Parts: sequence; C-alpha cells; structure tokens
Amino acid sequence: MRFHGGCNIRLAGRPSDLVDVLPEPEVLRLPLQSCRFDFKEICVKEGEEVHPGQALAKDLDHFAVPLLAPRAGTVRLEEAEGHITLVDIHKEPEEPYRPEEPLEHAPRDMDSVGKKRYKLLALGAWQFFRDAYSGRLPNPFGVPSAVIVSTLALEPFLARGDVQIRKRLASFTRGLEHLQSLLEYQPIYLVLPDIGSGFAQRVRDTIRGYAWAQLVGIPLRYGLDHSAAIARGLGLKRNGEGPVWALDAAGALAVDRALTLSLPSTVRIVSLGGPAAEKPRHLKAMPGYPLSDMVETRKAESSTRIIAGGVFTGSEVPESQLGLDAECAGLTLLREHEERELLSFMRPGFDRASYSRCFLSAVRGAFIENLTTALRGERRACVSCGYCEEVCPARIMPYLIHKHLYQEGYEEAERIGVDRCLRCGLCSYVCPSKIELRGQFIDAQELLEQERPAEEVAS
Amino acid sequence: MRWLHGMFDSVRGLFEEKGKLARMKPVFEATENFFFGPATRTDGAPHVRDPLDVKRFMATVIVALAPCVLASLYFFGLRVLAMILVSYAVGGAVEVIFAVVRKEEINEGFLVTGLIFPLVLPPALPLWMVGVGIAFGVLVGKELFGGTGRNLFNPALVGRCFLAIGYPAAMAANWIKPGGGLLGRLTEYAHAGTVDAVSSATPLVFAKQGEFAGLSDLFFGNVSGSVGETSALALLAGGAFLLYTRVANWRTVVAILASFTVLGALLRAAAPDTFGPVGWHLLAGSLLFGAFFMATDPVSGPVTNPAKWAFGILVGGVTLLIRNLTGYVEGVMFAILLGNIAAPILDEVVVRYRVRRMQHEG
Repeated sequence: MRFHGGCNIRLAGRPSDLVDVLPEPEVLRLPLQSCRFDFKEICVKEGEEVHPGQALAKDLDHFAVPLLAPRAGTVRLEEAEGHITLVDIHKEPEEPYRPEEPLEHAPRDMDSVGKKRYKLLALGAWQFFRDAYSGRLPNPFGVPSAVIVSTLALEPFLARGDVQIRKRLASFTRGLEHLQSLLEYQPIYLVLPDIGSGFAQRVRDTIRGYAWAQLVGIPLRYGLDHSAAIARGLGLKRNGEGPVWALDAAGALAVDRALTLSLPSTVRIVSLGGPAAEKPRHLKAMPGYPLSDMVETRKAESSTRIIAGGVFTGSEVPESQLGLDAECAGLTLLREHEERELLSFMRPGFDRASYSRCFLSAVRGAFIENLTTALRGERRACVSCGYCEEVCPARIMPYLIHKHLYQEGYEEAERIGVDRCLRCGLCSYVCPSKIELRGQFIDAQELLEQERPAEEVAS
Repeated sequence: MRWLHGMFDSVRGLFEEKGKLARMKPVFEATENFFFGPATRTDGAPHVRDPLDVKRFMATVIVALAPCVLASLYFFGLRVLAMILVSYAVGGAVEVIFAVVRKEEINEGFLVTGLIFPLVLPPALPLWMVGVGIAFGVLVGKELFGGTGRNLFNPALVGRCFLAIGYPAAMAANWIKPGGGLLGRLTEYAHAGTVDAVSSATPLVFAKQGEFAGLSDLFFGNVSGSVGETSALALLAGGAFLLYTRVANWRTVVAILASFTVLGALLRAAAPDTFGPVGWHLLAGSLLFGAFFMATDPVSGPVTNPAKWAFGILVGGVTLLIRNLTGYVEGVMFAILLGNIAAPILDEVVVRYRVRRMQHEG
C-alpha cells in the first residue's frame, strides 16, 4: 500500500486509556437524529413501559435501523422536542433476542445468513457498518466485495480502538469470526497501526490462525485511517463487484454481542476529550445519557464548544440536543476564541504549532499548543501554496477543485475528483487563506449526488 | 494595549454600514487586523485551524528579503529606502482604491510586491519612474486579473517589464558604483547626480565585452546592478530561509539553477567564445534573485510538482539563452514572464495525466 498525505495535530486533552462507568441516569433523552439517521417512525406510545433493547423508533430510509431503549423505563414523547424521553429508569436484565414473526422490512424466505444479518439489524449492531466510500449505511442483505475492520480512530478525539478492545480481545476476534460467517469468500481486512505496539502484537498473535483475515498496517497519521483511503489503497474499486463494508472496533464487538449473546448493543464507549475537558478519558455511556451530566460538570471553562465527534469532522452539538445521540463516538470540548492578540502575525511564534515552518516553533520538537476555535486569520483568495494537496489523503487537488467550484464549474470539479474527497478536513485546517474547502466539497458532492441519474444510484 | 482597542472601538461606528466612512471599511478592517489578530471563530468542522495565515505567509517573504535589503542599503545608500517608500505608497494606494471600489478586503500581497519591485530596479532610477512602474504592475499585473491570487503574471515583473520597454535608456543606465569600507554608502543618498557614484554598466554588460568581474565581488555584491540583486550571499541567506519555511518551493529553485548550470556547461564546452563560464553566470545578474524570489511566486507559477520542475527548467534555460545569444544582457525577467505564460498549460498537462490515472484506478 502506498500512502499519501495525512497529518497529525497535537491537541491537548487526549482521552486517557481509562474507561469510566457513568452513574446510572435518572432520565434518558434519546435524540431522534444522529449524523446518518433520522428516526422518524416512532414505535412506542406515550406512557408505555419499555424493556431494554426494545425499539423505540426506526429510520425507514435506512433499512429500518432501530433506536433501542438502553434501559427499562417509561416513555414520554412530548417532554423534549426531537427526543424520546425515558423516565423511571431502572436496570432490568436484558431479554435475549426473540425474532418477531413475520420479520418486518426484510426480504421473504431468508436463509440462515440472512436471518443473522436481520438479527444484527434488530440488535443495533448493523448501525456500526458503513460503506467504506460513501460512509452510508450499507444494505444489510447485500453482498459486499470486502470488509474492512479498523481498530484505528486517529481523529482527535474519538473513542480509540485499542481502548475498546483491550479487555475484550476475545469478543473482538469472535466478532470477526461471526463476520466471516456472514460472507462467502470475501476477504476481511483488519487494519492495525504499522508500529510494533504491544497491543498490535497481541492482536496479530490472536488473529494468526485465521486465513480469511488479512492484516493491514497503516501509519499513525490522521486521514490515512479513513475507510475510503484504506479501501483505495487496497485496490478495492468503488464501483466494483459490490460495496466495501467498513466497521470499527466497536462494530466488531457489537457483532459479537448480537450473534454470540443475542443481546442488543446499547452501551458504548465514548471518548470525552479536547483542550477544554477537565479530565479527558473514555466513558461507558448509552444513547440518551443527559449531555449536561456528562459535560457540564467536567467543563473546564464557561464558553466552550461541545463537538460531537472530533475536531476535524465533528459537528457542534446544538443547544436543543439534550442527550447523547445513537452514533456518537466521542465528545470534544474546545474553548471558544475570545482574545485578540496584539500584532499577532509578527510574533516569533515559538508557541505556535504549524504545519508550515513559518513560525519559530519549526526549530523545536513536537509540542502541544492550546488550541481554541479561532479561525486564526482572515479569509483570502487562494495563493496556491499547495499545502492542501500535500496533506490530502485522497490524492486530489483541493485548491484546483476550489477554483472550479468558485466559478460554479461542477462538472470540472467532478472530473478532477471532488467525489473522492474523504471529508477529513485537513485541507481546511492547513489553508493559510482560511478557505472552507471541506464545506465546499461536501456541498458539491451533495449537489452532484442529487443530479446523478436515478438508475445509476439504484445500481 | 487597551487604549488601542478602545480607539478602534470608538471609531468603528463610522465604518459600519450606515456610518459616514462606510466606503473606507476595508481600510479600517485592514488596520485593525494588522494590530490585532482577528476575532473570527471557525464555523463548523474543522473546528481548529493552523496558525498560518496569508499575513504571516507574506511576512515570511519580507523577512527573507531583509538580508538583501540590508545589503543594498550598504552598497547603494539611503536612496534605496526612498525607492521602497515610493513603491509601497503608490502600490498600496492602488491596492486600497481597488479594495474600496470592489468592497473587498485589502490584500497583503502588495506588501511583497511593493518590496520586491524596487529591488529589481537600477538604484539611481528617478523616483517617479518607481511610482509609475509599481502602479502599472499592480494595476495591470494584478488588479485587472481580479487581485491577489488570480493574477497570471508576477506583478513586480510586469511593472519592471513596463519600465524596461517604456524607458529603456533610464533602465539601462542609472547604475551606482557599490560603496565599500565599514559603512559603505549607509550614510549617503547617492543618486544620478552624485559625481563619484555613477557607473555606466553592470557586470553582465561588461561581460558582453569580454570583461568579467571577480567572483568574490559577485558573491558579496560589490558590483553595480539592480538594487537587490548584487549580493549572492544575501540572496542565498534569504533564499535558504524561504526554502526552509517552505513558503517557496525548492523544486522551482533547484530546477532553475540546475537547468541553467547544465545547459550553460554544455554550451560553454561547445562554444567557449559565445558562452561565459557557468559559475560566473550563476552569481551574476538577477538569476539568484529571480530563482528564489520571483519564480517561486506561488500564484503566477505552476502549482503541481511536476509542472514546477518543467517551469524551472524552462526559466533557467531561457535565461541562459537570452543572456548569451540575444542583444539583451539579462534574461531573467523575460524568462520568468514566459514561464508564467506556460505555467497554466504545464499544470493542465499534469492534471490531465492525474485525472486519467484516477479514472483508471476507479
């Protein structure tokens, strides 16, 4: 595999390896939206008593992915807009999975593999799967051309694979076995860091016997861990024989939980980090856990931006969102930029960590700068410095795409590969002209997607 | 610094949408953001940004030019300062007028153009010509194309080209003999009327007549020539800094110097009467200045790396040919302008190749 681009920034507040268990919540507020899903179809009634693992709502646009109740409780639908609220939360033993007959939203006369896949869907494990290229939820009953299981999450900060599977290596490998049983002959690629860490070595030792699992080592540089970058590096075509499925460590664990124990995956490990996090660490949390209880008490300063996800791709948590959403893998806390520095561009910059070498910090070793949400400059026209191309893990030319998009040349932008953009955000990060490249490319991708003929989408 | 903050805050209203001076908002913004880093926050992912901005990017070039400015002050005297001031004042005025008319921000690019321009002129050139030249360069070379980032040609070279064609006599004379000793001409204001200072020609002119200046004089800059181009030492120091900070791309510089050297050595071996020694030509004239500070302009040069190599080879080769085979004594300016013309097509070739590879990969 050849690697191009990728870049790490050192952000303060890297979550420690510790996994804290949060106290049992008194109330759960489950948002009906997460980054990919919109759970529009409500399956419960006001005042209904639900048991853990019961589907509260479904997203019919995405193969009826369910929003599962993490705990037993009483449903309140009106209490918070856009949320399902569960009150009187109590811990009940989870009931093993009993498939409802007939199976809803599933093809008729399924074989045993189809039933297993249906089980993954019903038990909340399927939502960990994504199409390696588009990031969307793949068809659970489709046939992939390959599966990529990545233990790496290099964006600062998301729950790290090594933290998640350190104590559950057996479950993880069992999850891989289950995954293999869903496939015919398609390969499973297991992505590990290319360094000789003890953890990677342990995984290698455990996996050695499996002929169907191929180990892929990649450098520890953010951007290269993106599933599309890996898939492309492995020579898996985007429009090849079938989609490429990708899932992370949490996904493999969820598969194991669903197929070995027949239990739903509701509790997950979420990272809580960032420069404004008082005690950066990993947390065991469940969807709907009140954000105020997770964050407010730990917030170091008053004016803080809460980001669902990492600093490169995450989105700011809106005021209206009250609980952890169903897909969140990490919360990153950043202080909002307030101070204006005198003659800031003239300072030697010994304390400024930059991708370029335009600051005195270039002569010192790597260090952690206290970053805020500052844009750190004014928006300008592109000066063609070429930094964006250097860091781009997708091997496209962001400045050139930008120039075409600036003139609304969408076809040209498509020709030079705007659809290959991984949305990693590195180009926007390094851009000295502070151009919102990532945002522009996402808009262009969505526009081109809409214009694509319907039959092409179907195929 | 609270008083300065207060000062900006007290007059801010004048420049707001309905204020008396609303039209001058770009000037106010530029001044305020010069003193205080902007207050803007990121809006969406990525939520943090690299500290590098265009101001710093341009400031780095100015720092890299510092050795060369200091050397020129030593060799040619305080008049250099006057030339820089005129260049900044006129170039800045054009930039401000366009920003106000366009209702856009004032761009930092003119800080570099305004400093580079006087450095490529003869040191005794009348100041009004400096003003006319920079005005033409900024106006035609940059603003008419849409401002910094959209220009096809290096604006300073457009200005110089204009002067070279419009006032060929003044641009071919007006040389000053370099100062020497402890202070050089640091305390003098040597101009065309200074009796002992005027020089008739530059080393490249003498070379055409078979007279070669000493290598050490060329290296330290103790020769007549354009303001900032004479001292190879200062240029190498600034150039090394520019390459280290990665503001200038090393590929362009290496390609220019390598193609110049290789082609020069070959032609020298073939026709020693026509072509001077390569080592001498490397240090003479404005080759180093052009290679480090003008050809590396990211906007007017090519962007893709293979195109940078091709561009450099073209510029280096053409410079050598113009110097030795034409009536002109120096060819760097035309070579770079020619390179600027070729840059988009070189990039396009590389882009097409990459697109084809991308489609092949699927």
